[in-house]
Amino acid sequence: MMRSSALSLALGYVALGIIALILFAAPLWYAWQVTIAESRQENLQMDAQRLSDVYRRDGADGLKSYMDTRVGMQIVGERILLLTDAAGRPLAGNLAAWPPKLPLAPGNYDTEIDLAGRGNQSALVHVASIGSYHLLVGRDNLLFKPLQTRFWYGLSAAIAVLSIAGVLIGLITRQALLSRVDSIRRTVSAIIHGDLQHRLPTQVNDDELNTLSRTINGMLDQIELLVHGVRNVSNSIAHDLRTPLAELRSRLEELSLIRPSPEETYAEIDGAVADVDRVIRIFDALLRLAEIDAGMRRSGFVSLDASDLAASAVEFYEPAAELKDIELRYSAAGPVLVSGDPVLLAQALGNLIDNALKYAPKKGLIQVAVRRLEDGSAEVSVCDNGPGISDAEKGKVVQRFYRGDASRGTPGVGLGLSLVQAVAKLHGSSLELQDEAPGLRVVLVIPADANAGIATRVVPSAEPTPVKIAPATLAPSP
Amino acid sequence: MKILLVEDNERVSQFVIKGLQEAGHTTDHASNGRDGMFLAASEPYDVIIMDRMLPGDIDGLAIVEVLRKTGKRTPILILSALSEVDDRIRGLRSGGDDYLAKPFAFGELLARLDALHRRAHGVDKERPLTVGDLHMDPLTRKVTRGDRHISLQPREFKLLEYLMRHAGQVVTRTMLLENVWDYHFDPQTNVVDVHISKLRQKIDAEFERPLLRTVRNAGYSVTADD
Repeated sequence: MMRSSALSLALGYVALGIIALILFAAPLWYAWQVTIAESRQENLQMDAQRLSDVYRRDGADGLKSYMDTRVGMQIVGERILLLTDAAGRPLAGNLAAWPPKLPLAPGNYDTEIDLAGRGNQSALVHVASIGSYHLLVGRDNLLFKPLQTRFWYGLSAAIAVLSIAGVLIGLITRQALLSRVDSIRRTVSAIIHGDLQHRLPTQVNDDELNTLSRTINGMLDQIELLVHGVRNVSNSIAHDLRTPLAELRSRLEELSLIRPSPEETYAEIDGAVADVDRVIRIFDALLRLAEIDAGMRRSGFVSLDASDLAASAVEFYEPAAELKDIELRYSAAGPVLVSGDPVLLAQALGNLIDNALKYAPKKGLIQVAVRRLEDGSAEVSVCDNGPGISDAEKGKVVQRFYRGDASRGTPGVGLGLSLVQAVAKLHGSSLELQDEAPGLRVVLVIPADANAGIATRVVPSAEPTPVKIAPATLAPSP
Repeated sequence: MKILLVEDNERVSQFVIKGLQEAGHTTDHASNGRDGMFLAASEPYDVIIMDRMLPGDIDGLAIVEVLRKTGKRTPILILSALSEVDDRIRGLRSGGDDYLAKPFAFGELLARLDALHRRAHGVDKERPLTVGDLHMDPLTRKVTRGDRHISLQPREFKLLEYLMRHAGQVVTRTMLLENVWDYHFDPQTNVVDVHISKLRQKIDAEFERPLLRTVRNAGYSVTADD
């Protein structure tokens, strides 16, 4: 039988029960034995006393006849009487001879006596000297045997019941546990073999195994999400790195085949280097995404001012906006202390403004606003009056490498918004894409700095909330 | 400059050594941590280029730490295939002076080496800067070209200050992003170029000789030389 914690636990309890039972029975047994032996000895002594009284009153012959009468009356075996002379020869009583092992000295003895040919019986005897005679008064222990036997039987039965019940309960518990543990084991081994969709069975109640199962299921959800992310990334890499690599390859191959003039060759080489740089950039972006997804950067969280962060991002992109004849407006209502990763938040904000710059029309308007929400967290929004994103596309734009219809012909690798979303997720919030009719409003919520003393709010859980699609109050933008 | 390169990759080493030679520097090369440690400790170098991951039992960061503990102040640029921000911080914390992720453009490496070398020779943060007829006083924050006063936004001032502190050297876009804006990511679009052209408008537009020049495939340079 395999080792089972349930069974050994049950056996342990059985052993404990038996010990308790013995601890209870042993003193009882001892007390019983002592009390009974004492009272019986007292009785025997009284008997002997009575007989010596008879001797004193009626002489030896009187005692003999008295004893004979007594022996005739009593039930065989109940009482043992023997009177012998000084040499130990029987004179009266129901014993044929002085028991061989018994000394002739007065005292109390527990010895074996052959009574009326019934074989040796254990008996309690009192030996007294009356004149020159020896008197033996005894009672066999036969009377107590059944009681003792019953006591021992009772104790053994109790131990047996305890043991059997213990083992049975142990086995049943083991079976019940085993079947549940086994279902967990089967699920887990299915997962080990690559099927991440399995989940542990759970019941409504809150016992330990259910709680554990639910926790494990939560862990599996997270693992599945991460694995899915990794799979997505590798798919994306396979898919999207192929394009620039193919371009690079054909460029180099053409160069090797055609062997153009040095000037053209150098131009082509520069182009090839630019291609490689593009590949590297995609790689860097992907690695950073993977790093954020893995939650590794949570250690980089510091207390920072969201307004300050947004202001410097706006300042950074200002000249680029000017160049495109786009107005970049910034508004903030004072500092909002948040807890976050400054590098990633700056990058996320940069991506949002960069995106807006890409899609805002000439003479367009981009508004970056920071405001403090009631719970102390910062709401950073970037709003443009470009073409916006149709509801159908909203879920897709945060996908890695997805490029919307409107983005054809604009530079970028299609990782911008997915990075912003990953950063939002790392900060325990979500990225909201709202219709601005026309245009797009992207809202990023950064949780308050819990140490700043402003916020009392619990940081929202890191559950993946891909995109909250705001109800389209107006027709989707073109 | 006398430069020590500790790098195990043969190709990268050849590429770097050749490039440095062409730029007029002498380079010693160690292809493992033991040799690198020995050379770095025994020879005087102007700059050390240290790969993070080296074969054998001594890793690049460990060498940097040992050198710093023994009081060597030689500027060290750490090269690494690990580009995550945390990794960069770890590299700098161990005593490195700059950090460059692989793969890198040679121009970027050269520019950073120049900057490191210059920094090691002490910068007086208060000393006025002069390039040709362009003057900057970091204390009064006054910038003049010839006899004309140039008014700059704070960030433009910082940008010009960085460029002027590295006058005559090439400064890459990444270096500007890191040092002027403290941005450690690639903003994808050419925002730095736009800032530069705005700055150029202010300091060069109305003058015959341009001081702020674009170095093709590398970055920018402020110089009065031709």
